[in-house]
Amino acid sequence: MRIEKCYFCSGPVYSGHGMMFVRNDSKVFRFCRSKCHKNFKKKRNPRKTRWTKAFRKATGKELTVDNSLEFEKRRNIPVKYRRELWNKTVEAMKKVEEIKLKRQTQFIKNRLKKGKELEKADAINEVKKNIHLIKAPHAGKARKMEEKMVEKLQEDVEMGED
Amino acid sequence: MGKSKQVGNHKSDKKKNIAKTWKTKRRAKDLDQIHDDIRPENAAKLLKQELDYDVTGNAQHYCLHCARYFVDLKTMKEHFRTKLHKKRLKQLREEPYTQAEADRAAGMGSYIPPKAVEVRTQPVEDEMTT
Repeated sequence: MRIEKCYFCSGPVYSGHGMMFVRNDSKVFRFCRSKCHKNFKKKRNPRKTRWTKAFRKATGKELTVDNSLEFEKRRNIPVKYRRELWNKTVEAMKKVEEIKLKRQTQFIKNRLKKGKELEKADAINEVKKNIHLIKAPHAGKARKMEEKMVEKLQEDVEMGED
Repeated sequence: MGKSKQVGNHKSDKKKNIAKTWKTKRRAKDLDQIHDDIRPENAAKLLKQELDYDVTGNAQHYCLHCARYFVDLKTMKEHFRTKLHKKRLKQLREEPYTQAEADRAAGMGSYIPPKAVEVRTQPVEDEMTT
């Protein structure tokens, strides 16, 4: 038994789930659920449909090129069961999954970093542009004038003393 | 290029039963099938079909890219100038989506960007002279 991948969303198609469409040129399409089948019937392009894996990969939302993605493969040659090999494979699968997850999260974090920087720059720009809303252009002018008057008076007094 | 063909959705019968238009019975050709058709050896066969009186225009005027028969050359030429046809050409300029790509997207291998395909409207002029 094999868990196939959905033609539209690339999700797993477990046995007994979803449906299979065989076109009249005998090409097989598997779908994980009716949502995917309906979208296929509408002739939507999975590359342009935002919720599919194909879209996320095509637009660089997710990790696309990496060695950790090369382990999972469709193997058409059956391998005779050996307990040692089986155990090792399971161990390796766990390790690969761990590494893959780590790299994928790192990739997304790095991708989101740029947005944060832009957000910060935008915020600073906004404050700079709209500073007049906080500080009126004439605010504190009266006080400055007063200080100047006092200075002048003092100077006059000093002049008078001389 | 004229106006878009779709005028109003409320009272037009065209859009009344959308689910019916998606039935497998009425299924039109997919993009990957058309990519197959465009290949010269297949295209030659499709462009010069035998007389078939059951098909529109006796199967003499076929648009490869839209997989559609036309009554005569004039209407076909008009069709080449429509939005519908140009849109289809644009869609065909990318390699078709396959199950292999779906598998790759699911984590079975690295992503390979689709190649661009050069698509041009089929030549008609030589048919005019004969």
